[in-house]
Amino acid sequence: MEDIIEVQHLSKFFGENEILKDINFTVKKGEVVCIIGSSGSGKSTLLRCINLLEKPNGGKIIYHGKNILDNKHDVYEYRTKLGMVFQQFNLFNNYNVLENCTIGQIKVLNRSKEEAEEVAMKFLKVVGMDQYINAKPNQLSGGQKQRVAIARALSMEPDVLMFDEPTSALDPEMVGEVLSVMQDLAKSGLTMLVVTHEMGFASEVADRVVFMDKGVIAEEGSPEEIFNNPKEERTREFLRRIL
Amino acid sequence: MTWSWFFKIIEEYWPMFLRGAGVTLLISIIGTVIGAIIGLIIGTIRTIPPSDNGFKRFWLKIVNFILTVYVEVFRGTPMIVQSMVIYYGSLMLFNINMDKMFAGIFIVSINTGAYTAEIVRGGIISVDKGQFEAAHAIGMNHAKTMLYVVLPQVVRNILPAIGNEFVINIKDTSVLNVISVTELYYQTSSITGNVFRFFEPFLIASVIYLIMTLTVTRILRLIEKKMDGPENFNVIPGNQMQVARPDHVANKIGKRG
Ligand SMILES: Nc1ncnc2c1ncn2[C@@H]1O[C@H](COP(=O)(O)OP(=O)(O)OP(=O)(O)O)[C@@H](O)[C@H]1O
Ligand SMILES: [Mg+2]
Repeated sequence: MEDIIEVQHLSKFFGENEILKDINFTVKKGEVVCIIGSSGSGKSTLLRCINLLEKPNGGKIIYHGKNILDNKHDVYEYRTKLGMVFQQFNLFNNYNVLENCTIGQIKVLNRSKEEAEEVAMKFLKVVGMDQYINAKPNQLSGGQKQRVAIARALSMEPDVLMFDEPTSALDPEMVGEVLSVMQDLAKSGLTMLVVTHEMGFASEVADRVVFMDKGVIAEEGSPEEIFNNPKEERTREFLRRIL
Repeated sequence: MTWSWFFKIIEEYWPMFLRGAGVTLLISIIGTVIGAIIGLIIGTIRTIPPSDNGFKRFWLKIVNFILTVYVEVFRGTPMIVQSMVIYYGSLMLFNINMDKMFAGIFIVSINTGAYTAEIVRGGIISVDKGQFEAAHAIGMNHAKTMLYVVLPQVVRNILPAIGNEFVINIKDTSVLNVISVTELYYQTSSITGNVFRFFEPFLIASVIYLIMTLTVTRILRLIEKKMDGPENFNVIPGNQMQVARPDHVANKIGKRG
């Protein structure tokens, strides 16, 4: 399988603190990679470095064979290829559901309004929010907001969809609806990079699980290996604490 | 008797009052709108994140410095003094004899601009960081992020403050009488010269000012309501076939809300 993103020796400092240390991993086409780890281990920072919301201090991010950290690269174009779903949804407050899913297509991808709406409706159907196109974000529940946020990201038709703890801000009864949408997407062959505390989801859906600890990748393997046969003591320790 | 004077003056001089009120409204409307646009532009420039490129960063610093000077100077001096300095200054130093009306609009605009620049900056800062990040994440650059995501929210949020500026402008255009702009205060003063009475003409003027400010406040409230859209949305019933034309559905349902 073709590599979509390859992270090499990535490092990131906030002031004096090295938050990411020599991170190496790849995401292949069609793969679902889950990143787990305790709070503060650098999971969000890693995702944010990958789509350049944070500027890495060292290393390479190879996207389709090119290092996007060399200055020649068009950051904005690159970002359209990576979808991002945030913990806090971050739907655009000034637009309704449909407009949230079309504004990027129209203003960034230069699609016509008609085409953008067609694409948006397709993905709003996928997440089951096509009946709510007139609603403003503040009129929706958390689970509904997150499903719209997923549709918004999908509407840009990215190569990879990244999720940063997409269910952590949700009431427990809404976690299921979002996870089931994500499960459907995984089955459809979408490439996904998911930071999550939902170990059930990770063990069921992931092709590969990455365990991060204090800014390094401590262990990486199939869900089977990580959850049933962790090699590292700190992985075992982490799993003991949260399961 | 005061009341008979009151009505007599209205009867005789209403066209002058009306013209004065018209000029006052015109200058304050145009001044507020232009000022708000100046404020939006300056507020946007002042919140551009520092660039990695040293050259760009240098220019941004200089521009920011100039804008800070502008804001501080116009907020820190009275408009009545600015009017004198600008009007007579342009005459003396540059030999420009400004049209009175133009001078009035110019002074009110740049004054309002200085105030709204700060209001806008505050408005931009108070927009959730997540809104910027979500916009960046779908590939918008700073300009697009501001234009399509942040500023619409800022405009909505600062509308009450802009309305406040508008009301202040309606009252403060009266200082333009020092450069003989024929706004309401100036006209009222002229009338006092004709009738040799002060109380009644200015009582009439204050009623007119009050009517203008109250009307403006009401209208702005309506605009705010309009911008917020309907309070409720309608769920579109299932198994709809017209997926290809969602805007039709959207329009139909939006109207009912
Ligand atoms: N902008 C910042 N400035 C300074 N330190 C930061 C910044 N953002 C994150 N950090 C620090 O970096 C470390 C990693 O943060 P990060 O948010 O990536 O962790 P995380 O694994 O996502 O944790 P969580 O599970 O709580 O979301 C933390 O110690 C955090 O305090
Ligand atoms: Mg995090």
